[in-house]
Amino acid sequence: MKIATLCGMGFGTSMLLKLTIEDIFKEQSISGHQVIPWDLGSFKGQKVDLVVAPTDMKSHLKSSETPVVYIKNLVDKEEISEKVLAAIQDIENKRKGGE
Amino acid sequence: MEIFNIIVELIQLPAVILGLIALIGLLIQKKPASEVIVGTIKTMLGLLIMSVGIGALIGALSPIQAMFEAGIPAGGFKTFVTFDEAVVGAVQGANLQSIGAAIAWTMLFGYVLHILLARITKFKYIYLTGHMIWIHAGAFAILFHSFGLSLFWTVFLASIVDGIYMTLSPALAQPIMRKITGNDNIAFGHGQTLLNMVGAWVGKLVGDPSDSTEDREMSDKLTFFRDMAISISLIMIVVAFIGVILAIIQIGIPGVEENISGGQNWFVFTLLQALGFTAGVLVLLQGVRMLIAEIVPAFKGVAEKLIPGAKPALDCPVIYPFAPNALIIGLISGTIGQALGMVALALIGWPVPLPSMIAAFFASGSGAIFGNATGGRRGAWAGGFLWGFLGWFIISFAYKFQVFGDLAAMGAENLGFTVPDAIVPGILIWLVAKLFGV
Repeated sequence: MKIATLCGMGFGTSMLLKLTIEDIFKEQSISGHQVIPWDLGSFKGQKVDLVVAPTDMKSHLKSSETPVVYIKNLVDKEEISEKVLAAIQDIENKRKGGE
Repeated sequence: MEIFNIIVELIQLPAVILGLIALIGLLIQKKPASEVIVGTIKTMLGLLIMSVGIGALIGALSPIQAMFEAGIPAGGFKTFVTFDEAVVGAVQGANLQSIGAAIAWTMLFGYVLHILLARITKFKYIYLTGHMIWIHAGAFAILFHSFGLSLFWTVFLASIVDGIYMTLSPALAQPIMRKITGNDNIAFGHGQTLLNMVGAWVGKLVGDPSDSTEDREMSDKLTFFRDMAISISLIMIVVAFIGVILAIIQIGIPGVEENISGGQNWFVFTLLQALGFTAGVLVLLQGVRMLIAEIVPAFKGVAEKLIPGAKPALDCPVIYPFAPNALIIGLISGTIGQALGMVALALIGWPVPLPSMIAAFFASGSGAIFGNATGGRRGAWAGGFLWGFLGWFIISFAYKFQVFGDLAAMGAENLGFTVPDAIVPGILIWLVAKLFGV
């Protein structure tokens, strides 16, 4: 699965989100996902399966067709872990259902 | 012999050195071969992409500058763009006198020293904000290089200052960070520290922390500034049209079309330059992204192994969720601060940094959050405003007195540094150097 993390510039906070998510994957021995940091302005048109963004970007991502996970506290590993893993599960379930 | 020459030339190329740093980092992390190759090549491409972006950015900026020059009567002030990534990217890309190589080596050895200092002193912080690691390495290397030092001494001295900076600045901000986040888990790792601390100190004087900005509801209409492409476009369109109108007042439409736009309609030309500048910025940022994408995880991995339990010093947006209202106040008061700063600078005839939405959002926003932590609502207004106003003076000072040497001659034309953590130590070292007659 391809996961995009977003921030304004595309290399600060999004990079930290990426590192946190990769840490979580490592701890839980989850593999097969690619996490890419991106900036809000240019990520549209990119094909990804899941978007992880700070809560204050909500108004920009309303029209997103890709599922979006909003993170309130960007340094809270538990919040990130909970929300991202749930979203991945959700997407995988839907895919299985669709087949 | 030919192979030897090729190798000698290669290891002086900034792109190659940065690729090498990424390569070592990826190998230390024991990544699979395919990832090592991809990561190394992408890091090298990052710097080259940056140069392309800088070319576009400077290309669009020059005519805008020409408009201001034509529009502002002789003896008036000069304008320039303040943007750290562009300065370091342009100087490193041009690589005159191997300065680009010096920047890359400083990035490596400065970080090594930082990890060493964090290990042996009580300042257990790991500075992880990639673009800031690069910008400060760049600023300090450019500074020492401007004193006419050799490559070795430039890298040696710049790495020392850089390592000390990355170790001490998170420690300086930590008392306020504890107030902002309510815990002691994360630290602040961004070049804004000094002006944010000014915001916090002034906030304490003028306000009351219990009168927090976060007790009220605020509209989120201003969040469209989150999209850099849009906010930079808007500000540059405004700036460019102010420039062209000033120029038209002085030399008329025919004058503008003859001397500046190369015959193209003035309106269309101005719009295109404003958007062209933004396009350049976006390409530049894409390059920065690729440049640091592999290096930051490598630095993080090594640091965590050597300094267990250290606090990560992170990019400024990590504090935004703790005070979103203060952030908006900072955006507004910072813009006002920049505008007044520009007027004041123009009046005393100093170079005027053009408005920057990046500084208003990221810098004044954080300044306001620091101010809110010590002085509530008033502190937030003061913190955001001061970052814009005082910041513009510091930025102008460094540009006017060429604290970092002749940046234009090094490839960064009409560009100047922004972050106080690079400029203020830069000014101090520059003054010491002046005392010794360097």
